[in-house]
Amino acid sequence: MALAHVPPRPAVQRRNARLRLGAAVGLALLAVVTLATLDLPSVDRVVTGITTNVPPIVGGFLTPEWSLLPRAVAVMFETLFMAILGTIVGGLFAFPISFLASGNLMPSPVLAYPGKVVLVAVRTFPEILLAIIFVAATGPGPTAGIMAMGIHSIGFLGKIFGDVVEGIDPGPNEAIRAAGGNGLHVFLWSVTPQVLPEFASNLLFRFEINLRAATVLGLVGAGGIGLILQQRLQFRLWGEVTILLLVIVAFVIVVDSLSARLRRSLA
Amino acid sequence: MSASAALPARSAAQRLRTTTTLGLILGAIVVSAWQTEFSVASLVLGTVDFVEFFAKLVPDWSYLPEIWGPLLETVQIAYLGTLFGALLAYPLLFYASINTAPNRVVLMVTRSVLTVLRSIPDLLFAALLAPVLSIGPLPGVVALTLFTVAVLTKLGSESVEAVDPGPLEALRAAGATRNQTIQFAVLPQVGATLTSFLLYAFEINVRASVVLGLVGAGGIGQDLLGRLNFFAYGDVSLIVLATFALVLLIDGASIWLRARLI
Repeated sequence: MALAHVPPRPAVQRRNARLRLGAAVGLALLAVVTLATLDLPSVDRVVTGITTNVPPIVGGFLTPEWSLLPRAVAVMFETLFMAILGTIVGGLFAFPISFLASGNLMPSPVLAYPGKVVLVAVRTFPEILLAIIFVAATGPGPTAGIMAMGIHSIGFLGKIFGDVVEGIDPGPNEAIRAAGGNGLHVFLWSVTPQVLPEFASNLLFRFEINLRAATVLGLVGAGGIGLILQQRLQFRLWGEVTILLLVIVAFVIVVDSLSARLRRSLA
Repeated sequence: MSASAALPARSAAQRLRTTTTLGLILGAIVVSAWQTEFSVASLVLGTVDFVEFFAKLVPDWSYLPEIWGPLLETVQIAYLGTLFGALLAYPLLFYASINTAPNRVVLMVTRSVLTVLRSIPDLLFAALLAPVLSIGPLPGVVALTLFTVAVLTKLGSESVEAVDPGPLEALRAAGATRNQTIQFAVLPQVGATLTSFLLYAFEINVRASVVLGLVGAGGIGQDLLGRLNFFAYGDVSLIVLATFALVLLIDGASIWLRARLI
């Protein structure tokens, strides 16, 4: 009779269970309504689309167009270089902005708000949207993609850099001031050594994100492997699409693991 | 008595390390700039075009009634993608966590599949799916579902692997099955975190679904591309402003909810 000794569930838990059930039912109802109102194609059309497209796609996957490989690797390197520059541009701008957005370094925490607002605003725009604007304004090419990634990265990096700066140990700052150091000395010998490893680690993390982003910037003409991928998709050259996808996946996985290893050694 | 005389000199090894790191970073920048023909000069020269372009971006408010539909569709795609993705990801992530996977083989297979899935950006999924599932919101929903699976399994398995192993061992020692262990030892520890990841995924998905239309996968991106091709910059800037407001609104609501969850 072991079960008899288990105490009944407390009221809080029972209320939480009812809340969870309610939330689940609500989410499911919302999904039904959404599905009913969304402009979805008829089942026939989807079935036709799948039956006419899947065999050639599978055929393309099974017979990759290996002759495209050198070209694919070359444009993927261009994509990689775009991601590097985009990350650097973002880091260069985020570095000063993050100090302006840190409550503990500004004379008053209120003065950090304008910086914080700018960072939130920048973060809100997806990079591909920025890329469209840059392409429309300055013409197509990798430079548009680099700037789009750079500006979008400012939002992310500035926020994280700011959090890092706000979390530093104030002891060394005070020690330097007590020894007669000025603001510049504090910045150089206390703040910078404390934040540099975390800044570097987050730059690498952002670089991993940017590499993925850079592969699709070409879809809107902002350079990289996305452009030739889109052409191949439009002409449904699945054998060539396969090679491009393989190169993207391979690059991203290799760069990710290298970068993750570097980040671990920094931490 | 100069202050710097008191500072100990940096060792040769330290100096070498700093020099090599800086050299590598500089080298990467130079090679990248050369290969992508990135030049600050052309960017500076381009600022005139840029300013001229932005002068044209005055929102045309008369276009506003036409964007409510696409905006709603954008949120709908994000919602369904998040929901379906979560339904797939939550059971799956326990197979991708070292402390809850039934065995090593299942763990390795699940992790490898998810690693490949994670290396493909959402927009690429959409671009691949649009020709197959016909232009419209359907490829968008499927693309975001796959993307959500990739995100949630990664975040989720990391927190599952970080749980206190004590309760798991206790339940296993008492003869609990794998499902019972997950239900009574793991879920109570990570339930709130996993729910907050769901909201986080929804935030990301709203941002992603804004641009899905660029490759024919539904939502407001389709209208954006159309207006841009007609050089209707007033409409373009209105769409950009509206997506900006939408993302801020969703982010704010989600952050508020997440703060209450944990």
